[in-house]
Amino acid sequence: MLERTLPILLATVAGLFMAAQFFIPHPAMLRIYNLALDWKQIVFGCTLMLGVVSLIRFHWRKVARRAPGAFYSGVALVSCLATIGTAFFGIETGLYPWLYDRVQAPMQATLFALLAYFVASASYRAFRARSVHATLLLAAGAVVMLGRVPIGDLIGFDAGGERWSLGSLASWILDVPSLAAKRGILIGVGLGMISTSIRIILGIERAYLGQSSGEGQGRS
Amino acid sequence: MAGEKQGTLLSRLTTVDRRVIYLLMTLVVAWPMFKLVTLPVLISKEVAGFDREIEALTAGDHVIFAFDYEPDVMAELDPMSRAVMDRLFEKDVEVVALTLYPGGAGIAQPVLESAAREHNKVYGEDYVFLGYNPDWSGTMLRLGESIKATYPADQFGRDTRTMPILADCDSYKDVKLLVSICGSQLTEYWAALAGGRYGQKIVSGNTAVQAVFIYPFYQSGQIKGFLGGLKGAAEYETAIERPAFGVRGMGSQTMGHLLILLFVVIGNLGYLAARRAGTGGSGGVTGGGGRA
Repeated sequence: MLERTLPILLATVAGLFMAAQFFIPHPAMLRIYNLALDWKQIVFGCTLMLGVVSLIRFHWRKVARRAPGAFYSGVALVSCLATIGTAFFGIETGLYPWLYDRVQAPMQATLFALLAYFVASASYRAFRARSVHATLLLAAGAVVMLGRVPIGDLIGFDAGGERWSLGSLASWILDVPSLAAKRGILIGVGLGMISTSIRIILGIERAYLGQSSGEGQGRS
Repeated sequence: MAGEKQGTLLSRLTTVDRRVIYLLMTLVVAWPMFKLVTLPVLISKEVAGFDREIEALTAGDHVIFAFDYEPDVMAELDPMSRAVMDRLFEKDVEVVALTLYPGGAGIAQPVLESAAREHNKVYGEDYVFLGYNPDWSGTMLRLGESIKATYPADQFGRDTRTMPILADCDSYKDVKLLVSICGSQLTEYWAALAGGRYGQKIVSGNTAVQAVFIYPFYQSGQIKGFLGGLKGAAEYETAIERPAFGVRGMGSQTMGHLLILLFVVIGNLGYLAARRAGTGGSGGVTGGGGRA
């Protein structure tokens, strides 16, 4: 019973306090608020350590069992331990920054750069003017792609003392229809966050305890 | 007969080998880097807003500079960081740098060190690098109460309480501007947590993909200006009259975009031809286009 009730009680108290302190600018509230933030950072740091331990255990088991992909697990394990190990010999000079500059940075940059190829190939194969909606999407995409590079500002004309170009059309698309859609999504997400927070504070939402919502209600 | 042959030829336009696309992409992106292509860069209102906020700073003002990105988006965001840092040091603004990404520390250090060398800035007096803090939301909120309590030590383990740069700067109320150079949603959280709760003035630099999400915050005034993608970097370099990698990269970016559009047109011509010929065509969002 305690293992269910205590976390819910903690979440309720913490949630109510963080909501209340926003409206009560009393020094005592501020002190507890700062303390809560310090604790939050400590807990977050511990979860990172937990993540590393969990990662090592997962890959270690795969290597020990010689499961499919064990070689790659071995590479992950060696890389992880080597990086952690080199950090003990200094993070400003030596092997640690070398690993970052010569291995991690080029690898991450290369993987991201590959997107250019996939985007080009996927656009060629997937963007088809099959319907009115698809054509509109295609046209808007083309305008924004051209408008977001300097050539887009060159394609256009002057009228009424103003420059009408693909660049300005792209800006309008981003400023008006795209922005309206984004704002709608943001408001929806915000309302969803509020309702989920209220459900957690009231103990209705228990997914974070590894239970589905409402599970166990009436038993404790 | 001739029409049929033409239809077949056009239909083939939908089956260009992906390796041809990859090769052409390599060539069109690489070529402008070797043969410098300069294109005129116009400054958008978002970048003008960013520039206005930076120019409004005076010597001795404090700025929090958040390097919230990792090497994957370095090509897009590093030109921004370098240009902005250069301008801040040129104006004798005091920079309090930090990162909320573990990989951000390796990015921030070279940018800070190179700009500091160029402008003869002293670590601990003119700038400081606080390093990485794991809890991004807690850090954003805690900085509003005390920078020194949030970061008792800097990236190199030095005590922040004894640093001259932080002697008269300990929370957002002592910071004139927050610059978030970011490859994720963290800019939005800076706006919500540092801006919303503490009224911190914010400008940002974002990847082109992420910049789309910044428009609502810019329109509402929560973010005073932003640089979107490499084009944003090029615009800012143009605004401060220091063309560098952003401006140089515009040739490659333009050619890359043109190539993608060319292939989209080719694919659609082939699709329409195949539809007319009654074969339906291949690919398409709903048709399954094979491997990318």
